[in-house]
Amino acid sequence: MQASKWKKLLTVAVLSAATTAVCSAEEVTVYGVKSLSGSFASYGKYADMGSKLAVEDYGNLLGSPVRYQAIDTEGNAGKAVRKVQEAISQQGARFFNGATLSSTALAIGKEVNKVGGVFMTPAGADELTGSDCNMATFRWSVPTYGAIHETVEPMIKAHPEWKRWYTITPQYVFGEALLSNAKAVFEAEGIEHVGNSYHSLQEQEFSGYLTNAMAAKPDVLLLLNFGSQSSNALRQAVNFGLKNQMKILVAWSSGLDQLQELGADVAEGVYFGAQYWHTVDTPMNKALVKRVREAYDMNPNYPMAADYIGTTVILDAIAKAGTTEGAAVAKALEATSYQGPTGDEVVRAADHQVLKNYYLLKGKAASEMQDDDDYVEIVSSGKSFPDESSLECTRS
Amino acid sequence: MTKPNAQTSIFSGVTLAALAAVILMPLVLPSATLATEILIFAMAALGCNLLLGYTGLLSFGQGIFFGGGAYIASLSMIHLDFGLFGALVAAMIAGSLLATLVGALAIRRTGIYFVMLTLAFSQMAYFLAYTLSDWTGGDNGLLDVPRPALSLFGFELADLTSSYAFYAFVGVLFLAIFVFARRVIHSPFGTTLVAIRENEGRASAVGFSTNHFKLLAFVISGGITGIAGALYAMLLNFAPLSNIELLMSENILIMTIIGGTGSLLGSLLGAGTIVLLGDLLSSIWPRWMIILGVALIAVVLFMPSGLWGGVESQCKRWKERRCTAGKTSGKAQEAK
Repeated sequence: MQASKWKKLLTVAVLSAATTAVCSAEEVTVYGVKSLSGSFASYGKYADMGSKLAVEDYGNLLGSPVRYQAIDTEGNAGKAVRKVQEAISQQGARFFNGATLSSTALAIGKEVNKVGGVFMTPAGADELTGSDCNMATFRWSVPTYGAIHETVEPMIKAHPEWKRWYTITPQYVFGEALLSNAKAVFEAEGIEHVGNSYHSLQEQEFSGYLTNAMAAKPDVLLLLNFGSQSSNALRQAVNFGLKNQMKILVAWSSGLDQLQELGADVAEGVYFGAQYWHTVDTPMNKALVKRVREAYDMNPNYPMAADYIGTTVILDAIAKAGTTEGAAVAKALEATSYQGPTGDEVVRAADHQVLKNYYLLKGKAASEMQDDDDYVEIVSSGKSFPDESSLECTRS
Repeated sequence: MTKPNAQTSIFSGVTLAALAAVILMPLVLPSATLATEILIFAMAALGCNLLLGYTGLLSFGQGIFFGGGAYIASLSMIHLDFGLFGALVAAMIAGSLLATLVGALAIRRTGIYFVMLTLAFSQMAYFLAYTLSDWTGGDNGLLDVPRPALSLFGFELADLTSSYAFYAFVGVLFLAIFVFARRVIHSPFGTTLVAIRENEGRASAVGFSTNHFKLLAFVISGGITGIAGALYAMLLNFAPLSNIELLMSENILIMTIIGGTGSLLGSLLGAGTIVLLGDLLSSIWPRWMIILGVALIAVVLFMPSGLWGGVESQCKRWKERRCTAGKTSGKAQEAK
């Protein structure tokens, strides 16, 4: 009696283990690489919310519910890479989304590529789809080329009288890329580049650079830094009264969260370039705004929208490929077109860059705001990307 | 000739404890990569301990040696096809040379001025790495760093691609460095370093050229930290700019202080505590660094000898209690 009871128990255990193994073989887990702690925690929090919501909304995939697991980068590229390696080797992770810092995204892209996975990122470095492109890495955000062409060009076209431009540039790879693109546009449009001030990666005090800009008497001050540096530079420029003397353009803003931090008094009359804005009139964006309001009682901002769509696109590609095999999913993602928050979005096969709109926004006066988040009006939008023939991506 | 006891013999006592920790870590921890990271930072903390714990020099320059080692090892592998040992030797030499440069100038001053000089060097090194982006990758970091196989005279002994194989290699290297450091601190040179820490004026008065001793301590510390940096780059296949930031120096210092200055095993304990705290707490609370701050304050106030010092004093108390209990029961039996 005892022996048969043990046999039964053993059979049940073996069967349940086998069933679990079979089921888990098709179970999809998306890993969100987010800076949940450390210096970029405020960005990572929204990015994480976006990915979580996307997975929640997706429901079942390949017969099983989709799982989401966050990996905290601690705002440190080294920690991020180590944790991604760990997820790959311990849990067989293949599908990743996120990464705030360019250095983190570049290194993670390499790791994921080694195991033939898929990594979708909204990070800023052009190298992601340029010299360091690979089979696994896909990038949602518009490169520096598009950010400059979709902000500087429309301003010049709308106001040909703004002939003299001054730039303030962070002296690192990203800043240099924005500056070289801006110089190319200036040259093509016959604009006089009256000066440039470089600052370091850690600079937070911009009065010296702003004084130089004032002395050059430009029509437009173009800020090519981002995050807290662009916020500080803009605040100080407003305090110096530059808004009354010239137009100011922040070419690479982070959108709603940055404007909430700046406030309408600072943002009024200032131009901003943005990857995303929540009032964009597209079917998918309307649905996203509704869903985010229901789930989180707020409007979606850039990190939330970017990681929501990044996660959704990966899941769609898995569904299209019908398998969790990374290479097949990457192939399915190439040349895919879909309805994204910015309208029609296409994944370019040549470099894995998502071709999407970039926005030029203009700050409203506080008295004109219809609601708490109505900081700007959309001046223009469009898609500008380097030609396939000029791509640095040599992925075979 | 006196026979070495367990306290001073380099192959017993704490060395055995370090060996046990190296064997147990991959079995107990969630992954071999996490265990490897702990050992690498323990190595860096060990280098820092030689300066802070044994020589009394609070250096913010450790990140220079760590980052320098990482860059030189990576560049030598990428551009000069150096193998594993070649890259590690290059990193050790780079770390030592950088330490010679920083040390030679910094030790001319003492106290707060010494600290300020190491801080200044740290900032300079960061901006240099940031500016030389063609070599270091700048803020994007140096990518595609290989992890070569373990080979000797052209014969491949082991492929280190697997995280466990790499852990085993780092573990052996850590133990070798641990034994070397113990040898150093128990040598007359190490004793002189302690004398300098306790009273530099008196050490100088009895005829020691204290600056030479301090410089040599710097060189050894730089070499060890350079090796740690190289191993970190090999672990990540990537050398981020953050390796050479001031924050890296701070982290290495915090690991050393929390673990216990003046105790080599404390370096392992400190590195383990900080890396594990980050790994566990960061997923629970985004502002986990506050806990780290509180822990640091608590250790400095209540355990000046660090966690290892706390462990040692608890063991001592426990032994004393056992002794007292033994004596009491002995007396009771005698009375019967």
